[in-house]
Amino acid sequence: MNRAADQPEPNPLREGISARAVPQPCTIVIFGATKLVPALYNLAADGDLPPAVIIAGFARRKKSDDDFRRDLEQSTRKFSRQAVRDEIWNTFAQSIFYHQSEFGDESGYKRLAKRLDEIDKNHGTRGNRLFYFAAAPDQFEAILKHLKAAGLNETCKGSWARVIVEKPFGTDLASARELNRVVRNSFTEEQTYRIDHFLGKETAQNILVLRFANAIFAPLWNTHYIDHVQITAAETLGVGTRAGFYERAGALRDMVQNHLLQLLCLVAMEPPTDLSADSIRDEKVKVVRSLRRWSRTEIAASVVRAQYAEGAIHGDPVAGYRHEENVNPDSQTETFVALRLFIDNWRWADVPIYMRVGKRLPKSATEISIHFKKAPAVLFNKDLRDLNVLVIRIQPDEGISLRIHAKVPGTSFRIEPVKMDFHYGTSFGKASPEAYERLLLDAMSGDATLFARRDEVEQAWAFIDPIEEPWQAKKDAPELFFYPAGSWGPEVADDLLARDGRAWRRL
Amino acid sequence: MPAISETYSLGLPVEIGRIDQELKKLWRESEGAVTRASLVNLAVYSEEPGSLTSNTQLMAGITEDHACRAIVIEADCHAEDDQVEAWISAHCHVRRAGGKQVCSEQISFRLKGGCATLLPSIVFSHLDSDLPFYLWWQEEFREPMDPQLWTWVDRVIYDSHGWKDFSAQMRLLESAQEETNQRIVLCDLNWTRLDNVRFALAQFFDHPASHHRLAKISKLRIDFASGFKSTALLFAGWLGAQLGWHIENAKSSSVLRFITPAGRKVDAELRERGEQPIHEIALTSGHVEFIVAHAECGDLLEVLRGKPGEKGFPQLMPAGKDDPVSLISEELMRGGPHHVYLHAVNCVRHLL
Repeated sequence: MNRAADQPEPNPLREGISARAVPQPCTIVIFGATKLVPALYNLAADGDLPPAVIIAGFARRKKSDDDFRRDLEQSTRKFSRQAVRDEIWNTFAQSIFYHQSEFGDESGYKRLAKRLDEIDKNHGTRGNRLFYFAAAPDQFEAILKHLKAAGLNETCKGSWARVIVEKPFGTDLASARELNRVVRNSFTEEQTYRIDHFLGKETAQNILVLRFANAIFAPLWNTHYIDHVQITAAETLGVGTRAGFYERAGALRDMVQNHLLQLLCLVAMEPPTDLSADSIRDEKVKVVRSLRRWSRTEIAASVVRAQYAEGAIHGDPVAGYRHEENVNPDSQTETFVALRLFIDNWRWADVPIYMRVGKRLPKSATEISIHFKKAPAVLFNKDLRDLNVLVIRIQPDEGISLRIHAKVPGTSFRIEPVKMDFHYGTSFGKASPEAYERLLLDAMSGDATLFARRDEVEQAWAFIDPIEEPWQAKKDAPELFFYPAGSWGPEVADDLLARDGRAWRRL
Repeated sequence: MPAISETYSLGLPVEIGRIDQELKKLWRESEGAVTRASLVNLAVYSEEPGSLTSNTQLMAGITEDHACRAIVIEADCHAEDDQVEAWISAHCHVRRAGGKQVCSEQISFRLKGGCATLLPSIVFSHLDSDLPFYLWWQEEFREPMDPQLWTWVDRVIYDSHGWKDFSAQMRLLESAQEETNQRIVLCDLNWTRLDNVRFALAQFFDHPASHHRLAKISKLRIDFASGFKSTALLFAGWLGAQLGWHIENAKSSSVLRFITPAGRKVDAELRERGEQPIHEIALTSGHVEFIVAHAECGDLLEVLRGKPGEKGFPQLMPAGKDDPVSLISEELMRGGPHHVYLHAVNCVRHLL
C-alpha cells in the first residue's frame, strides 16, 4: 500500500499509470519448492513484472538451466491461472536459472554470490536480491548462516536484499523467537517479509476498506452495537498428504495462530494513523496483545479441540483422521478447534469472539460475521429472533452480505430477515490476481503491509502457547472430542455458544 | 426467456412509459439462475444509421467484464417528425471470476427529431439510481452543449482520434466542464490507446539509477499508423508535460523541438510507419536507446534498451488491443481524474 522508506523518488512517467508501489528489478532466489513460478509467470504475462527480474532456483539435485526451465514450464502449464503462451514463456524462461548446491554447503553460496554479480552485470538486476524460503524450516538456519557468510545479506548503496519466509513461523513462542533470532542474525526486520497468503486475498484487504472507507460502519463497530463476532475457516478436505506436518502442528498452530488471528486483527484493529506498513501492523499487534489470557480452567471452558472420525463428505464415505496415511493410530492431534475469545480493550469489552476451524467439515468456507445487537423489542409486538449480521466472505465466492429485517408483504405485520448480497465475482468480471502474485509484487516494491512483523508473530504465539501446553500434558490434558467427518464439529463446540444464548451461523 | 440472449438483437420493443415495468417482468420471467448486476450507467450516443445494432454488439463485449446498465441511443436529429422507439434486452455472460451467469440490462432508444430536448429526459428517467453515469459520445460535440445533460454526467468518454478540429472540440468540452465545476472527467479513448505504451516506456525509469537518463534525453522517434498522428502527438505531449519540456518550434507537426528545463534540446520525429496506432517508440538518452515496439504477433510489446543498433533480448509486455470494447473496458477499469491527460493535451494543443 505504501512505498518503503528506502524507496526512491517517484518516476515522473509513472504518474497516473499505477496506484501501487512500483516493483524493482531484482533476482529472486528460491530455496526449495518452486511453486511460486506460475505466479511469477502470471505477473510477467500481465506486464506487472519490472523489466529485469531473474529467477534462480537453488536446490541440491543436479540439473541444467534448460532442465530446470522444462520442469518449471510443465508445472506452470498445470498450475497457472491463465493459459501459458509460448512466446511469453520463451522470453520468461530466459530469465530462469538453476543453481545446484546443498543447503549446507558453504561453497555453493560463494558460487551463488558470484553468479548473482554476473546476473546483475548482464541483466540489469541492479544488485537487488529477494531470497524466498520455500524449504523446510529446519533448513532455514543453515541457509541464512551461509547467505550471511557469503555476504548476500548485504548490498551496496541503492540496492536491497530481502528475505521472504513462509509459515509456519515456529511451532511455539520459543521456536518463533529462535527463528526470528536466526533470521535477525542475517537480515534486519525491515528486510524480512513473513508471508501469510490469507492477507493477499482480495477480501482480506477489503476489510480495511469496508471499515474505514464507509462511514456508516464506524459508529457501530464497537461493544455498544456489536453482540458478537464469529470467524469460521472450514474445509471439506482431510489431512491428505500433509500428515507428517499436521501431526506435529494441529489446527490451532496450523490455522489459528496465523490466518485466523490475522483476520481477527483486521476486523478488530483501531484505525491506523496512515496506510504505511508499520502503522497498520502497530494496530494489529495491539489487538493480539489485548486478547484475554486464560487460566488452565478457563481454557477448558473456552476452547474445544476435536478430531474427525469416519463419516461422509458430499455423500462419499471418508476415513477418520487416525486411519489416514502416516497418522499415529492414537494421535491426539486436533483437526478442529473452537474458541471463545475476548479482546480486553475499550472498543471490544465484553464482546465475545467465536472462532472455529476444522477439516472434514460439510463445506469449505472462510468467513467473518459481525452480529449486531437486537433492536429494542418495544415495537412490532415481538422479539426479533435474528440479529443483523454483516458477513465478510473470504473464500470461496468472495463478497459481503448484510442481513436486515423486512416486512413480509401482506395484511399481517410479519417481519422476516432478508439478505443484501455483494459478490466480487458478479460485480467485477476480471478475476483477482492470486494472493501470491500480489504479495510477491509487494515484496519487490518494499511494501511490507501485508506481511507479518516479528512482534505480531511472537504475540500470537504468546496467546496460543498457554492453550497448547495443557493439550500436550501427559496427565489431566483437556479432553479431545471426536466428530464425524461431514458434521460441523462436536456438540461441545455448539455448547460454547449455547451457554451464552447464541449459536454458530449457518453457513 | 425470450429477450435474454447472447445475440445482438435489440430485444423486446417496449413503450417508453413502460420500460421499468417491462424490465421487471423480463427478470420475473427469466428462466434458470441468473444474476442481474450493475456497477455503472453506461450510455452510448451515436447519430450513425445502424449504430443501434453495432453498439449493442459492443455492449455485449463490454458487459463481459463490466456489469452495467447499458443505454444505447441512436439519434436522427434531422428527421422531420419527433419519434422515440425503445427496446429492452440483457447481455448474459458466465463470469470468468465467479463461474456465474451474470446479466446486464440494456435499454435501446431510436430518437428522431428534436434530439437535444429528448436526450436528457430519455437518459435521466432510465438511470440505475445511485450509480455513476458514464456517457460515451461517438459524435463530434456541437453547440449548444446542453447544461441539463452535462451536469448529470460523471465521465464523458470520446475518441479525439477522429476529430476534425481538436481545439474547437476541447473548448466545448472544457465549457461543459466549467458548467459542472470541473466535476466531469474527460476520458479520451485516444489517450487510453497509449496506456500500454506509456506503461512500457515508464518502467525503464523506475529505478533511481535510471532517473538521470530522463534529463539526458536528446531524441525521440514515434512511428504511428496512418491516421493516428494525433495519437503520436499526444504521446509526445505526455513526455513533454511529465518531464517539464516545452515546444521551442515545430517545423511541421512531424518534426518538433522541445526544450528541457535545463535548456537542452530534444528533437522529436513523428513518422507515419507501421500498422499499429503507435507502432514503435525510440528514445535516445546519451548512448542508450530505449525501444518499445509492437511484436509481430500484435498483442504484445517488445521492450528493450541498449546501444543504438545493438540487438538485445526484448522483454514482452501486453500491448492491449485497439478496438472499442478493449479501450472502453480499459477506461472503465480506471477511476479518478485524468490530470496527466490534460497536461499532455496542453503541451501539444496547438498541434493537435
